[in-house]
Amino acid sequence: MSVHPEDARRPRPGWMDWLEQRVELSELFSFLTHFGVVYTPLDTRRPLRELLRDLATRTAPSYLAWPRVLTPLAAILFGILVVTGGLLAYYYRPTPETAYDSTRLIVRDLPAGWFIHHTHAWASHLLVGVIALRLLRFFWDGLYRAPRELLWIAAVAMTWIVLQSDFTGRLLGWNVPAYWGTVRGMEIVFALPLVGPVLAFLLGGRVMNEDVLIRFYILHVLVLPAAFAALLYATVATVRKVGLMPAGRNEREVTLRHHLYSMAMWTVVLFALVLTLGTMFPNRFFPQADAYSTPATVQPPVYMLAPYAVLFGTRLPTWLTGGVLLVATLAVLLAPLWLARAGEATVRRLRMAGIAAFALWIALSVLGAWVDRR
Amino acid sequence: MPDPESRGPAAAPVEDRRQFLGWLSRAFLGLWAVGAAAVVSAYVKPPRRGEGAAERTVRVGLLDEFLIGEARLVRHGVTPFFVVRVDSERVVALSAVCTHVRCILGFDRSRRALVCPCHDGRFDLAGNVISGPPPRPLATHHVSIRAGEVFVHL
Repeated sequence: MSVHPEDARRPRPGWMDWLEQRVELSELFSFLTHFGVVYTPLDTRRPLRELLRDLATRTAPSYLAWPRVLTPLAAILFGILVVTGGLLAYYYRPTPETAYDSTRLIVRDLPAGWFIHHTHAWASHLLVGVIALRLLRFFWDGLYRAPRELLWIAAVAMTWIVLQSDFTGRLLGWNVPAYWGTVRGMEIVFALPLVGPVLAFLLGGRVMNEDVLIRFYILHVLVLPAAFAALLYATVATVRKVGLMPAGRNEREVTLRHHLYSMAMWTVVLFALVLTLGTMFPNRFFPQADAYSTPATVQPPVYMLAPYAVLFGTRLPTWLTGGVLLVATLAVLLAPLWLARAGEATVRRLRMAGIAAFALWIALSVLGAWVDRR
Repeated sequence: MPDPESRGPAAAPVEDRRQFLGWLSRAFLGLWAVGAAAVVSAYVKPPRRGEGAAERTVRVGLLDEFLIGEARLVRHGVTPFFVVRVDSERVVALSAVCTHVRCILGFDRSRRALVCPCHDGRFDLAGNVISGPPPRPLATHHVSIRAGEVFVHL
């Protein structure tokens, strides 16, 4: 937060005036509005200092109050993931020969490497949770109806991207559960009719080798984060246009200064949380993957326990149970878009359907965890 | 944030408290940033990759294999060196790293000199600068000969 509204009050001729005459600082500053840091409209023709003085006193609905806070929380967690991920990329080497050793170097040998590794892991777990909660909350409030369809589409796409990031990130450590979990996950996806072979082509083939690893790496560090940032932008852009709350709700108004301060505090709180979790409950460090020995049990990630239960509990072919059901689960999330003109009563009735679907998912997950234990 | 309405006769203490809290939270954020910077710089500091643990004594071969007046490059870790047989008895070892900008020198057989490919710095076979930009003569390493075998001590 280099730009502090307080500074705008004191006239201080210097670097800012010098710069103001050479670039449109207000336009640069308005860039922040695209990512939700400032969310009120700005007059970019005015000098930055006047703009800031104005902003410091103007009030706007608080975006850091429950349940709106979930989007800023996702953004902050994403920021933590980008920073820690960038630091991990300093030492990580994405080839089958070096992936495990370089991860071990980070976690075991480098000062604070374990800390950055576990912070990254826990921030990703929390992001999965926040994104899921956000989806539930949007559904509960009927935010899939016009004119907020984009919010819902972005939320569903973000869920998909976060799960993909988690899936691709798991493999990078090249340890036993990561390797065999990915082999099994990929087999399920590749079993899909038509789509499966195309995905296998894009992901570097069915055999887990250096081509697959480097593509997972590129997806994990470049493609998926870029897509997530774009969706975050789409969310903020549509919120700025249509608002996040259905009309008629009580909204707490705060100044921008208060908003920025709360944002900083939330960052500190989240960072402290992932730091504590990473220190108290570090990820287990597993042995190196061996392509010639499959372990007896491979724990699927929490969010895959439900498909896993279906895969284990039925005698149907893989392409139907795993592939088609997995895609159907995500496709059904887009179904509410057909109710863009629905009234409040329909939303209330749909809530029950949502609760039932969520309960079913939880029940299947518990079943999956139980199947796995056996 | 205290309400603006609550200001009245007790405006001054409220202002003081607000200033103190503002100072406190800034100090807290500052400490937090210092801690984060310390952790990140400890992590980013390039780790030692074992070059320090490379052997200190290198066996470079039999004395009879070296021709008199010839320099042979020994590719040893990050400290490559030349072994030069001066006469039938004496062997010297010279660092192969140019003292100018750390390029690796080559042996020019016709001139009997060590030549830098980067800026044409030249050294004689005793390591002294003949011409070009290098500021210092080459470092020399101690050499011992035992039972006809040449060892260089780094």
